[in-house]
Amino acid sequence: MNAFLYLVSRSARNRARSLVRGARSPRYLAALAVGAFYVWAFLIRPVNRGASGSFLLGQPTEMIVTLLSVLTLMGSWVFGSDATALAFTQAEVSLLFPAPLSRRALMGYKLFRSQTAMLINALIWVFVLRRGGSTLPGVLRAISVWALFSTLNLHRLGAALVRTSWREHAGAGVRRHRWSAAVFVLIGAAVVAGVIREHEALLSALGAGAFFTALGHALASPPASWGLLPFHLVVAPTFAHDAREWGRDIGPALLVLAFHAWWVLRTDAAFEDAAIDASAERARRLDAIRARRGLGASAAPRTATRTIALAAVGHPALAIVWKNILCLRRTAQLRLLVGPLAMAIIIGSAIAGGVGGVPAMVAASALVLAGLLVVFGGRLIRNDLRQDMQHLPLLKSLPIAPGDLMVAEVVSGALPMAVLQQTLLVVAFAASIGLPSLPLDGSTRLALLIASPIAVLALNGALLTIQNGTAVLFPGWIRLGPAANTGVEALGQNLLASVSNLVSLAVALVIPAVVAFGTASLAGQPRAVTLALIVIIASAILALETYGALRLLGRAFAKAEPGVSEGG
Amino acid sequence: MIEVRGLTKLYGSFTAVHDLSFEVGVGEVLGLVGPNGAGKTTTLRCLAGIIAPSRGTVAVAGHDIRTEAIEAKRALAFIPDEPHLFDYLSVEEHLRFIARLYGVADVDARLPALLDELELSEKRRALPGELSRGMRQKLAIACGLLHSPSVLILDEPLTGLDPAGIRRMRQTISARAAAGTAVILSSHLLNLVEELCTRLVVLRRGECVAFGTLGQIIAERPDLAGRSLEDVFLALTGTGGAS
Repeated sequence: MNAFLYLVSRSARNRARSLVRGARSPRYLAALAVGAFYVWAFLIRPVNRGASGSFLLGQPTEMIVTLLSVLTLMGSWVFGSDATALAFTQAEVSLLFPAPLSRRALMGYKLFRSQTAMLINALIWVFVLRRGGSTLPGVLRAISVWALFSTLNLHRLGAALVRTSWREHAGAGVRRHRWSAAVFVLIGAAVVAGVIREHEALLSALGAGAFFTALGHALASPPASWGLLPFHLVVAPTFAHDAREWGRDIGPALLVLAFHAWWVLRTDAAFEDAAIDASAERARRLDAIRARRGLGASAAPRTATRTIALAAVGHPALAIVWKNILCLRRTAQLRLLVGPLAMAIIIGSAIAGGVGGVPAMVAASALVLAGLLVVFGGRLIRNDLRQDMQHLPLLKSLPIAPGDLMVAEVVSGALPMAVLQQTLLVVAFAASIGLPSLPLDGSTRLALLIASPIAVLALNGALLTIQNGTAVLFPGWIRLGPAANTGVEALGQNLLASVSNLVSLAVALVIPAVVAFGTASLAGQPRAVTLALIVIIASAILALETYGALRLLGRAFAKAEPGVSEGG
Repeated sequence: MIEVRGLTKLYGSFTAVHDLSFEVGVGEVLGLVGPNGAGKTTTLRCLAGIIAPSRGTVAVAGHDIRTEAIEAKRALAFIPDEPHLFDYLSVEEHLRFIARLYGVADVDARLPALLDELELSEKRRALPGELSRGMRQKLAIACGLLHSPSVLILDEPLTGLDPAGIRRMRQTISARAAAGTAVILSSHLLNLVEELCTRLVVLRRGECVAFGTLGQIIAERPDLAGRSLEDVFLALTGTGGAS
């Protein structure tokens, strides 16, 4: 264990040193300051402990946390979805697995190592829950949260080990770990039986509040309460309101934690193969995140789907667009749209406000989603230079003019996004036909729909040009390197980049807006035509500005060089 | 085919390559050797137009790599030691992508022979993630050879290849040189360099310490006469004593 202590302590020391070294760079320092301010403002800053605070530490939240814990752990048992629970780093696999260490020692190291993350998470939640209006000292709260997270982590690990044993040893594995599985099956059965018993009350509940009340009642009554008892024991100290309550609850929680530690350490499963697979998967995900694909296109596809034909001759820029469209098809996932879609439906429903029924809700949701995609689309779809910068040496060796390359990279993202947004606008227009009392009359809506293709293309192009331009001009703001992609400084860096993107777009829109309003107001046309003219003229000028910017960025790209560390 | 005059590359106050001059003619194979950090990859990247020289000129097939970059790049191929491939393009799609960029109109006719030559025919629909390290290297080589470049720049081309692949790669390089391609080859495998290269550039800390055929180099250092290339290399680069 001395070697493990040395490894963990030296890693922490070197990480701290690299943070201090990084702070000498003004760019890094600025990002650190903004990130620290953000953390202070949203986590640490004292706030008025009002109703929202009491909600955080209230009974419903405790019930939700307990239920979520059960569901999460059930997922680990039933689907084994949490394969990365067994993951080690690539270096750990290379150096520790061949070393003369027992499996128990390796597992002990993994648990020891995970404590860093547990402690950081515990501290964050202490600050969040501080707003709960309780008098419980922070240290006690931190111990509670640490015990909760550690128990959940141990359970995930134990479930992964047992599942691995089942896979490796089939019948023998099942027999060896039958008690572990039986306990969890009993817990699951008790919860399900409790819910079934109260199903009538749950089904007849009107609204979210009534539903949660009924659910809370179902889970608080036997047999569900028996099954949830271990979870309740672990969760309870986190929601204690004072030291006396905490003192009563912490003992049982620590007992459950100790039981889990004992269970995991005695589960002597041959986990090496599964751990190596999980480690490779984690390394792949980390690579994807480091290459900034985490928010957009997912990591590398596993198989090639249907291709798109590409003529052997023609403008080389089209080859770049073709490549990037294939990238989007093969790596983007529908899950990227789930968040914006859910948000659009919620906002759209609120805007429609029950007036106009489903068509009004569809129209509002489609419009909101189109708007959200304009604002956030560039962060979701990244099949452009931000993805290709990792192939900078290859790109620079290709016989294509840098300006053409920049245009192709931006078009690759702007075009598919514009198609999606245009489809949404058509849906919104179609759904709005026949709706009474809308802010814009039918002819104005039609005129704006006709003008919209050039507008969405110009807006997407401008936004993506700004983001791709950042990748060329300030690559450090897009990707600081593996060590700097996490932490407060990375948070600050993202905030600064987002704000500067919006400011740049606002500046780019000044001339188009002034010229478009000036020209259109002189034309003396009806309102619908005037609005459409403004949109078309402003979009055309914005597109021209964008094209000019891309040509200039091409010159900067020609001067961009791979880091000296990447070559000899 | 490629002419380098006074090539210098600076990174701040650090000189990665200093005043390097040489030329490689039709059918010639130039070996670029030197210890780690000698400036080989930096030199090759300058020749390929990936990074701009701080001073000096590079002309590929008569085109200056800075002022006529596209024409110069169209005439050359750069195959790095670490294959840069797109995760989401299959083997065949990589080649079609390169064909479009370099304007290879007869790509359909060239593909089968090239895929056979590099043993990639069965993997034509595979993504890079499905290929071994050696197969990925072969794909990078195939991308470089597809447009039949006049100048072929290879940086450690045998990395990751199996013995059969190494033999085939040697044959490929020889065949391309025999067909008139000017080849610049950087490698630590001195037996490969000795076998294939007609002339050598020996780099140490960014400076050329020897240039010419092996015979010419030894002629300038009579104390190295009769020694192996390894001994000559170690003596010239000062990375070990000649026995």
